[in-house]
Amino acid sequence: MAIVILTDSAADLKASVREELGIVSVPLKVMFGEETYLDGVTIDSPLFFEKLQQFDALPTTSQPSPLDFVEAYKGIVEKYGKDVQIIAIVLSAALSGTYQSAVIAKTMMEDQVDITVIDSRKASFVTGLICVEAAKAAREGKSKLQILDMIDRYLDEVQVYFIVDTLEYLQKGGRIGRAAAVLGSLLNIKPILTLDPAGYVTAFDKVRGTKKAINRVLEALHEYAQDEPVVVAVLHSRIPEEAANFLERLKQEFSIKQSVLQEIGPVIGTHTGPGLLGILMIKEKSLKT
Amino acid sequence: MVHTRLDGVLFSRMVHLGAKLLSRNAKVVDGLNVFPVPDGDTGTNMSLTLTSGVEELSRRQSPRIGEAAAALGHGLLLGARGNSGVILSQLFRGFSKAVNGKEEISAGQFAEALKAGVASAYQAVMRPVEGTILTVAREAAEMAVRASRSSDDLLLVMTMTYEKAQETLLRTPEMLPVLKEVGVVDSGGQGLLFIYEGFLRALQGEELEAEEQQAHKAASRVDLDELVEEQHNAQVHRKTEEIRFGYCTEFMIRLTGSTEPNKKPFSELLFRSHLDTMGDSLLVIADDDVVKVHIHAEHPGSVLQYAQQFGSLHRIKIENMREQHADILKAAEERKASAEAEPRTDVASLPYGLIAVASGEGMAEIFRSMGVHAVVEGGQTMNPSTEDFLKAIAGLKAEHVIILPNNGNIVMAAKQAAELSEVPATVIASKSIPQGMAALVAFRADAGPKENEAAMTRAIAHVKTGMVTSAVRDTRMGDVEIREGDYIGIAEKEIVTAGSDLLQTAKELLLEMVDEETEIVTIFRGQEATQEQAEALEAALAAACPDVEAEIQYGGQPLYPFIFSVE
Repeated sequence: MAIVILTDSAADLKASVREELGIVSVPLKVMFGEETYLDGVTIDSPLFFEKLQQFDALPTTSQPSPLDFVEAYKGIVEKYGKDVQIIAIVLSAALSGTYQSAVIAKTMMEDQVDITVIDSRKASFVTGLICVEAAKAAREGKSKLQILDMIDRYLDEVQVYFIVDTLEYLQKGGRIGRAAAVLGSLLNIKPILTLDPAGYVTAFDKVRGTKKAINRVLEALHEYAQDEPVVVAVLHSRIPEEAANFLERLKQEFSIKQSVLQEIGPVIGTHTGPGLLGILMIKEKSLKT
Repeated sequence: MVHTRLDGVLFSRMVHLGAKLLSRNAKVVDGLNVFPVPDGDTGTNMSLTLTSGVEELSRRQSPRIGEAAAALGHGLLLGARGNSGVILSQLFRGFSKAVNGKEEISAGQFAEALKAGVASAYQAVMRPVEGTILTVAREAAEMAVRASRSSDDLLLVMTMTYEKAQETLLRTPEMLPVLKEVGVVDSGGQGLLFIYEGFLRALQGEELEAEEQQAHKAASRVDLDELVEEQHNAQVHRKTEEIRFGYCTEFMIRLTGSTEPNKKPFSELLFRSHLDTMGDSLLVIADDDVVKVHIHAEHPGSVLQYAQQFGSLHRIKIENMREQHADILKAAEERKASAEAEPRTDVASLPYGLIAVASGEGMAEIFRSMGVHAVVEGGQTMNPSTEDFLKAIAGLKAEHVIILPNNGNIVMAAKQAAELSEVPATVIASKSIPQGMAALVAFRADAGPKENEAAMTRAIAHVKTGMVTSAVRDTRMGDVEIREGDYIGIAEKEIVTAGSDLLQTAKELLLEMVDEETEIVTIFRGQEATQEQAEALEAALAAACPDVEAEIQYGGQPLYPFIFSVE
């Protein structure tokens, strides 16, 4: 009995990874004025950031429609048969209507197939990583219950921090949440952002300057990891060198079992702008089923 | 003349004379400040503080020591600026509590009150340092107590107290190495000695000098009307039938002295003490040839008869206060009724009110951009008073106030304001502008006051402050030879470099402060530094430490061309 993992393009999973693990992705949309692009299908990160520079106004994004999800569900059923179990792990409902579309689509399927829709309360590769782990577990023959249990544990425990160049993108896109309080100072104050338990963007702390911000994040991560083996991913937009340096530093300071360096995609990039540096960390033992 | 009892009148004269001596010598005291940086303001601060006390004392004149001391204490409390000012206010706060309710006191009680003041001051200072005004006050008070055991003569007790204070002051360099290094006595202690000298001279019978009296009287004359007004207000709290002295009596005596056969020579003290037996709310202001009198008496005729012995009477005004009082009560009730009819508009609207002390328009701008609601003007050269803070707090209408004094000499005045404030207030003991800003970065509107206090105080520890200014006198600090007018670079509290070139001195200081741990440097450019100079500094820093982030901000602060924040 097959278990298939479904997600959306905001999970920033590479096509090669998805194909290898049989993960199905539903694209969100990015709009530059009148032009609409399918995230990860008709536009990728290099093209997106190039257009971002040329385009005067900020792009906007939109969730997939319920029908987009219905099509995806149907496609899975066609490929794997009616007995397939679908686990949909999607972008934080606090940030997007994607979850809602996925849930509506599920009711539209009228119990033709077993679908579990999960609000990841996360975004980008933080959602992506658990899709990868869930797909691996499915391939290893773990039960749906075991996999759901692991997903829950991961979503509760995973550590997420990110630093942006400017809060302007989060603010204009309406995703700033409670981080709004740190806007607008004359001094170079860097908010360290995270996602709260409900999936909203919130300020974890604020410090003066990038160097301090990175040190503060490392301090928080050490507090979490307590020298245990961890899995990490470093996320960035348009700053591969800084991201690589940061990963090097992580490798020196932590016992890292698995690491990923990943550029964020167009949808998330629309709301953070270039210059984002982010990290997710989870203890290796918490990913075991 | 032997004084064995101290009443409000004599006490008031002592304080006036003390204030006069201190104010005349404020610059001398300023000059004793240990650092050659332009924050030599101990004398100015003490004098401004005492002036505020004296003003209150003049407004609420009383022949009763308890009331006079309470007025002084209250005025000092509100006017306290600088650490020395706050300590001074505490000395008299303790004093006034000890004599509370008393009409007059003996020499022994005077000594005990001085001691109570010392206890209050020690309590107010978190880490009392010996070799300062505290030591001078303490040893002098101990001597006063010893002296009063063998004599009830106030003059004698005060003489011993003064001499002990002087002796202790001379020993302060032995107690505090930094004083010895520079070769001065403690400035606050010196200020206190001037006040004690005034006390002593008043007991010896010295009056305020003529020109001082003129000024004093001119001010008081204006005050007379105000005083009558105030007394009216005070009377609202009393019942008409409680009025013991029914006639408000005002008049002037043109003194003829002994030149006329049937007139007596005038002595202000005797005159005052005699009138004091005839009523209350007594005010006597004596000039060379004119005496102005205000008294509430039950038998105004007797008062006038007595006064007439010294000269001719003028501008006599007698009013029945029982009749007036009924009117005042009626008016007050009407006022109250109309006040209650109006809805209250001063409801707290801010959960947090943030107050920061800064000087320079750029600094104020930066603080405001960081969420500060009120910037109190002040800094090294001008320390805001407790009252300045109270006004700022009152202006905010916040549920909780957080104050950033941003200067070591302002912390205590801010704390005193926090204690007096009706709105709960927290003082973060920031001792420099960079510390204040670091604390603000750690502030969170969604956290509780205790949590914010802890986080903001922690943040202060992670920032180093550097300041460049020019020396106000020749001196030597450790290995550094300093000439007046030289630029000096101060890291935290220590002078680390000095020289005649601003940029060179600033560069040396900055590079001295930066180390491997340094993450970010902010250069605050003052009034006297150019943007080019600031950029040259930034370039020098980038060359020496490429990893350190740097930022230039226009602070516009006076006297300090550069302030560095090193984190």
